[in-house]
Amino acid sequence: MMETWTLLLGGFGTALQPMNLMWAFIGCLLGTAIGVLPGIGPALTVAMLLPVTAKVDPAGALIMLCGVYYGAAYGGSTTSILMNTPGESSSIMTALEGNTMAKYGRAGPALATSAIGSFIAGTIGVVLLTLFAPLVADLALKFGPAEFFSLMVLAFVTVSSVLGASMLRGMVSLALGLAIGLVGMDSIAGIPRYTAGVPELIDGIEFVLVAVGLFAVGEALYSVLYDPKGDATERNKMSSIWMTKDDWKRSWPAWLRGTAIGFPFGSIPAGGAEIPTFLSYSTERKLSKFPKEFSGEGGKGAIEGVAGPEAANNATAAGALVPLLTLGIPTSATAAILIAAFQNYNIQPGPLLFQTSGPLVWGLIASLYVGNVMLLVLNLPLVGMWARLLTIPKPQLYAGILVFASIGVYGMRQSAFDLVLMYVIGVIGVIMRRFDFPVAPVIVGMILGPMAEKQLRNALAIAQGDWLIFFKQPIACTFMVITIAVMFVPIILRKRGVRLAEDD
Amino acid sequence: MQKNWQVGIAAFILMLSAVFGVGATQLPADTGYAGIGSAFMPAVVALFLLLVGALLMWQACTGGFRNFTDGVVDLVADHRGALWVTAGILVSAALMTKLGFVVAATTLFVCVARGFGSKTWLRDAITGAVLVLPVFWLFTLVLDVNLPHLFNDWF
Repeated sequence: MMETWTLLLGGFGTALQPMNLMWAFIGCLLGTAIGVLPGIGPALTVAMLLPVTAKVDPAGALIMLCGVYYGAAYGGSTTSILMNTPGESSSIMTALEGNTMAKYGRAGPALATSAIGSFIAGTIGVVLLTLFAPLVADLALKFGPAEFFSLMVLAFVTVSSVLGASMLRGMVSLALGLAIGLVGMDSIAGIPRYTAGVPELIDGIEFVLVAVGLFAVGEALYSVLYDPKGDATERNKMSSIWMTKDDWKRSWPAWLRGTAIGFPFGSIPAGGAEIPTFLSYSTERKLSKFPKEFSGEGGKGAIEGVAGPEAANNATAAGALVPLLTLGIPTSATAAILIAAFQNYNIQPGPLLFQTSGPLVWGLIASLYVGNVMLLVLNLPLVGMWARLLTIPKPQLYAGILVFASIGVYGMRQSAFDLVLMYVIGVIGVIMRRFDFPVAPVIVGMILGPMAEKQLRNALAIAQGDWLIFFKQPIACTFMVITIAVMFVPIILRKRGVRLAEDD
Repeated sequence: MQKNWQVGIAAFILMLSAVFGVGATQLPADTGYAGIGSAFMPAVVALFLLLVGALLMWQACTGGFRNFTDGVVDLVADHRGALWVTAGILVSAALMTKLGFVVAATTLFVCVARGFGSKTWLRDAITGAVLVLPVFWLFTLVLDVNLPHLFNDWF
C-alpha cells in the first residue's frame, strides 16, 4: 500500500508541472465548452480533440484528453439542465429533474449540485481507482453476457420508478422505446429490421435524436400550443442561485450513493453510464423523503434526482479507467477513443502498462485529481451566468433551444431526414405530454432494449439455449435474486399496509 | 374530444403491435445455438405492445385514462403558433443544403420566435444570425464537422 502512495506522489510530481497543469486546464475548458453543445457527447468531443493533442508530449496529451473527458461529461449536464437537450444517454436522468428544477427557477442549485457532485464522485472514484484498480479488474473479468443480461433485467425492473403517475402509461412509453430500439440492424445476425426500405434507418435511430425530439422539440411545441405567453405561476422565476442548507443536506447522501453505484458499473467491461444513472435515479426516488417533488409526480424537481445520477455518471467515468488502464479494455465509446490516443504514442494499455509506463500512468491518475479540482473551480463561478440564460424572453429562448437542437441533430449525420424525424418525434412528444405519458421510459427502453437483446442472445448461445444459465452462475443469480426482491418486496409491504407512491 | 383522442392513441399502439408482430413473422427463423433468433425480441415487443395497447383501450372506453398528474385539464390550443414552429423546422430542414446553414438556421430562429409571439422580425433575424455564426465556425473550423456552406456557392 505504501508503494502505491509513493508512486502516486511521484505522479503528482508529473501532474503539477506547470506545463501539464496548463494542459489539464485547456482540456477541461475545451471539454466543457464543446460538451455544452447539444448532440455532442464526451466520445465525440474526445475524438474531435484527438488531433489537437498530436503536437504535445505523451504525458501532457493524455492529461489533456482526460480533462476533455471529464469536462465534456460536465458540459453535457449543463445543457441537459438548461435546455432539456441531453447530449448523451448518461445525462437523460439529469435532464429529467434538472430541467424541471430550472423551469421552477432553481437552475442554479441544479447546476451547483451537479458540479459539486461530479467533483466528489470523480475524486472518490479516482481514490478507488488508485487503491483498488487491480482488484476491481479481476472481478470485472468475471462478467459475461449472462451477468450483463441479469443486470439489465434488474435495470428494467427498477425503471418502474420513472414511469410517472400511471403505471400503465409508463409501460406504454417503455414499449414504445423498445419498439424504436428494434429499428435498424440486428446487432447479432446483422439483419435489418423494420427499416421500411429507408436507408437512413439501417443504422438505427440515434437516441440523441429521439431525446432531443421528445424533450426539446416536444416541449417547445407543447409550450407554443398551450402556453405561448408563459403562465403566470412561479415557473421560470429565478430564486436563489446557490444551494440552500436543505439542498446540501439532501444532496450529500445522493452524491455518495451515486458514486457507490457508478464506480463498479464503470469498471465492468461493456458497462456504460446508462444503467448506473438510471439505477441511481430510481434509488433516489425510492429513498427520497420528498417523492412528490419528482417531476414524474408533477413536482418542481427534486435535487437528489440531479445529484445522484450526476455523481453516478462521473464515478462511472473514473471507474471506466480501471479496465482501460489495467486490462486495455474500453468500457465506453469514450474509453475506446482514449485507447486510440494511448496507441498514438505506442503505449499499449493492459496488465503491463503500470510496469512499462509507470510514471506516465501515475502522472495521469494524479492529474485526474487535479482535473477534478480544476473543473469545479472553472464551473462553479459560471453557474450564475448559465442560470441567467433562462431569463431570456420566451420567444428568443425557445428559438435558441430549437436552433441548437437542430444543429446537434443535423451535425450528427448531416441528414435533413433526421431533422424531419426529430420534428415527427417532437409531435409524438406533444401528444404524450398532453395525455400525461412520461417521456423518459421511451429513452430507457430504446437504450436498454438492444443491449439486453444482445446479451440475452449471446448468453443463450454460450449456454446452448439453456435458459437456466441466469440462475446457475453466481453473479448472474445474485442479480436475479435482487430483481425478484425488488419486484416482490413492495407487494409484501403493500399487503402489510404500507402505501407506495406508484400504486395505480 | 378527450375520449376520441384516447381511443385513437390506444388504437395507434395496437396498430403498432400488429405492425411489429407481422414484421416479426417475416424475419428469418434461423436461431443458431441460442435457440432464439432475430425474430424473438420483436415478437416479445409486439406482445408487450398488444398487452399495454389493449389495457389502454379498455381504460379509454371505460371512463378515460386514469391517474393524471394534474387531473384532466381542457387546454385551448394555439394552432397558429405551432404552425410557425412547424414551418420553421421543416423549411430549415428543406433549405439546409440549398440556402446554406446560416440562412436556414436563422430562418428557424425567426419562425420559432414569431410562433411564440415575437413581433420584432428584424431584431430576431439579427439575434439568430449572431447566435448561429460562432457555432457554425466552431463546428466547421475547429471541430471539422461538415455543415452545409455558410451561404450557398452562389453567394
